[in-house]
Amino acid sequence: MSDRLTRRPRRSWSDVAFNVWGVLVMLFLFAPILVIIVSSFNVGRLLVSWDHFGFDSFLALLAKPAIRDAVWISVQTGFIAALVATVLGTLAGIAMSRNPGKWVWWFLGLLLLVSVTPEIVDAVALLPWMVFLGQDLGMSLFNDGIVRLVIGHSLFSVAVVSYLVRARLVGQEANLEEASADLYATPVRTFRKVTLPLAMPAVLAGFLLSFTLSLDNTVIAAFVSVSGSTPWPVYVLSALRSGLRPEIAAVSTIMLVLTLIALGLVAYVLRRAGDSAADIARTMGGG
Amino acid sequence: MRRRSPGFLLAAPAWAWLLIFFIAPVAMVVWFSFGYKPSIFATQATDKLSFDRYAEVLDPTFFATFQNTLWVGIAGTALCFLIGLPVAYWMAVKAPPSKRGLLVALVMVPFWTNFLVRTIGWQVILSPDGWLSTALQAVGFEPLAILNTRGAVLLGVVYNYLPLMILPLFVAFDRVNGPLREASKDLGAGKWTTFFRVTLPLAQPGIIAGVLLVYIPLMGDYITATVLGGAKGNMVGQLVASQFQTAQNWALGSAMAVVLIFVILLSAGIGAGIVWLVTLPFRARNRLVIGPPAPVPSAPSPGSGPAAASASIREEVGA
Repeated sequence: MSDRLTRRPRRSWSDVAFNVWGVLVMLFLFAPILVIIVSSFNVGRLLVSWDHFGFDSFLALLAKPAIRDAVWISVQTGFIAALVATVLGTLAGIAMSRNPGKWVWWFLGLLLLVSVTPEIVDAVALLPWMVFLGQDLGMSLFNDGIVRLVIGHSLFSVAVVSYLVRARLVGQEANLEEASADLYATPVRTFRKVTLPLAMPAVLAGFLLSFTLSLDNTVIAAFVSVSGSTPWPVYVLSALRSGLRPEIAAVSTIMLVLTLIALGLVAYVLRRAGDSAADIARTMGGG
Repeated sequence: MRRRSPGFLLAAPAWAWLLIFFIAPVAMVVWFSFGYKPSIFATQATDKLSFDRYAEVLDPTFFATFQNTLWVGIAGTALCFLIGLPVAYWMAVKAPPSKRGLLVALVMVPFWTNFLVRTIGWQVILSPDGWLSTALQAVGFEPLAILNTRGAVLLGVVYNYLPLMILPLFVAFDRVNGPLREASKDLGAGKWTTFFRVTLPLAQPGIIAGVLLVYIPLMGDYITATVLGGAKGNMVGQLVASQFQTAQNWALGSAMAVVLIFVILLSAGIGAGIVWLVTLPFRARNRLVIGPPAPVPSAPSPGSGPAAASASIREEVGA
């Protein structure tokens, strides 16, 4: 406090330098995103050269079924992948926090391995594996485009949800569950009425983060997707070779808005659960 | 009475899912890497196992790409650290507490924006026919010629992975902020002494986490080099991808993927060793000053709640 009182009148050069640097880096971080958003209002043949302002690219989206289908595939995949990751991750997170033991370290090790493995390795490993399951073993389920995408997108998300749920429950004592058991609630009832509500903020945040992760997944999707169910980032990737048109910027802008809505909800859920800015940064900064 | 249900079984579905769709596929790739490509129509065969594909990976043209990747990886991580450290410090310490949430949100937005889209944004900015180039030419500069070079790839990866450096550093500085730094100043330490002997050592787990979170995915990057690198800025990720997608040589692609993982682990290990050696004298000095009764500086205290989980994970990463 006294520090602030004495320093208040003059600002040291280092503080000014920090402010300038911080603002410059923020501008740097937003530059390409702003460029894409502005480009989506470009009326012209190519994305890079500005012609004039208009909404043509957004209207073109409506006329092009290929992009519409790609977005729809992404939304479906994102929803199912998030559901799968949330169920698996929530159960695993609860198990880790309520039944600690040596196995937890093994499991955390596996999750760590999943989350640090470069995506390209996951991608090139899943492609032959899906072919093996679907064609060599004849399980035609794995030839389905959406199933493949859901599996590929859920791997990292399972790890994220498990971390989040474990972190949330480790911080809270198991007293409530014990009380519930002492009051003759069945394990299932205790789970539904006590454990799950305690973990709920983490479960919701995990679901939304998984949804955005899946929506934006490009590398794994590019390898496992089959023609007929192309998610939107893969569509954009292929458009990269045939020339970028303003529609690509328009669809990117729409997906950005969707992602921002999901993120806003995550922040809202965590804020309501009483997290500080640092807690939220930790949660959303990749575990 | 208390532990009636075998609760760890709740984790069984996640175990199974990750074993079937993560461990098994990766194991299969390792197995494929000892195989070969029998004909133009087949992708791989494993009836004869050998190390021949690894010999092929170490051939000079592939070796040059590995070298290029390592250069981009190390330079990119170093730049992310140098750019991100002051920003994280500014966010956690210098900026008014009421603005902190907003600043975190501002870093979060690019982090969660689609990777490919952000990179395409740079392609638009750096394009020789783009508005930046046009503006530069209007003031008398040459048209921009950075696109499709290694420089563009470096810029792209620094941009793409910077939030992954800033966020863990912010969390680390935020945890150190407050009483300890005040105490250091009250005991007569100046700004710089406080930073180098209190803040930085205590932020160590965050620094390790940030560096690894940037370095590991950066080394396996495939998108940035594809969008910005052209023919000159090749990275290993693209090589692996092209073996699987265009050349249809899964055996060679698998060997490359395995070598890539080894290169990442080995270089991270060597880097950790170097840092450990370089900081040895500093740590020895710090320990002398603060003394054994306060074991604060070296080990990150296992905080409560979410901090404990992430701290323990980071320790594992750092070990």
